[in-house]
Amino acid sequence: MHNTLTRVQNVFGFFTSVAFAVAAAIAISVVLSSQTPSASLQLRNVQVVKGRPHYYSTKREEYAHITFSLDADLSTLFNWNTKQVFAYITASYPSDSPASIPESEAVVWDAVIPAKNAPEHHNTYIHPTKSTARPKTKKERLSLNKAYPPGKEPGILKLDKQKPKYQITDVSGKIAERNNATLTLHWNVQPWVGALVWDNRRTVGRWQGLKGGEAAFEFPPLKATEAKKEDLKTATGKEKNRGSPA
Amino acid sequence: MDQILEQARSLWEGEVDFEGQRLADYLTYGLLTISGVIAFLVGFATQNIYQTLYIGLGGTAVTFLAVVPQWPFFNQHPLPWLPPKNAPKSQRNTGLEGINMEGISIEVDGQKVG
Repeated sequence: MHNTLTRVQNVFGFFTSVAFAVAAAIAISVVLSSQTPSASLQLRNVQVVKGRPHYYSTKREEYAHITFSLDADLSTLFNWNTKQVFAYITASYPSDSPASIPESEAVVWDAVIPAKNAPEHHNTYIHPTKSTARPKTKKERLSLNKAYPPGKEPGILKLDKQKPKYQITDVSGKIAERNNATLTLHWNVQPWVGALVWDNRRTVGRWQGLKGGEAAFEFPPLKATEAKKEDLKTATGKEKNRGSPA
Repeated sequence: MDQILEQARSLWEGEVDFEGQRLADYLTYGLLTISGVIAFLVGFATQNIYQTLYIGLGGTAVTFLAVVPQWPFFNQHPLPWLPPKNAPKSQRNTGLEGINMEGISIEVDGQKVG
């Protein structure tokens, strides 16, 4: 502490310790905020058709196209340390020999839902709205470009007959007529500082486990006649990252 | 010229006395710890992590301002130097009350040096 340089080094050194301690306290403090996530997930339609992985491929695979309805309230996942919630829906189905091969899981839809104070980013989800009327005011237009329905808060999702973002297939190329499949809602809570937290179905402390958000279904047989192309479209959402990551 | 250089050197190096070093130490730990605690509590109370960030950074800036420059309050207890060995008798006075170097002999390893 006898000259300027030592004082700079000492202050900065202790600042890093304080910053680490405060960050640790913030990371731990999230256990104090209660969480009561709830969701209802319904399968609307599932079709299996033949397709190819890309235009020039000679390989023909079976692709499943899953339409669903989701009514979820994940707003309590947003505490003071939540930067964004990554919500996603998977279709999982057991393998042919469940004893030795674990079940498969494939994502059919996902969304990045930012907290209200998170900085703007073009990869964030834009919730679809029913109204087709053009927005009249700037406020109206902004409320249409949120990750939640107009007038709601982050974490609210109301999707009706939502087309999937991704068609799914199996490594074997065969996905038709598989039984005991499940559609499940998952999420990651991404904090400002601290640990990434996955969805929980069991209650831990003040964090209630997710109730609902599951739907059992079966993959139908392969469509014999050609399915309507409009029915097999995916909805990539209005995010501006289509085709170019981050 | 030498005087200006000496002043510039003193400002740049910013040396302070022993009491000043103790004070600078207390200020560093005290201010940073308090600002960290306040930052967390305010952020948690308002449920806004930006408050924590800005209060923490602000507190750190204040600490840097308070501790790093050579403030006068760090130099309130200067230690006097011994007078030069061959100084004339009239200058053999430390300037401090009751401390007169006259007639004091200094021994180093059994040898008289002063």
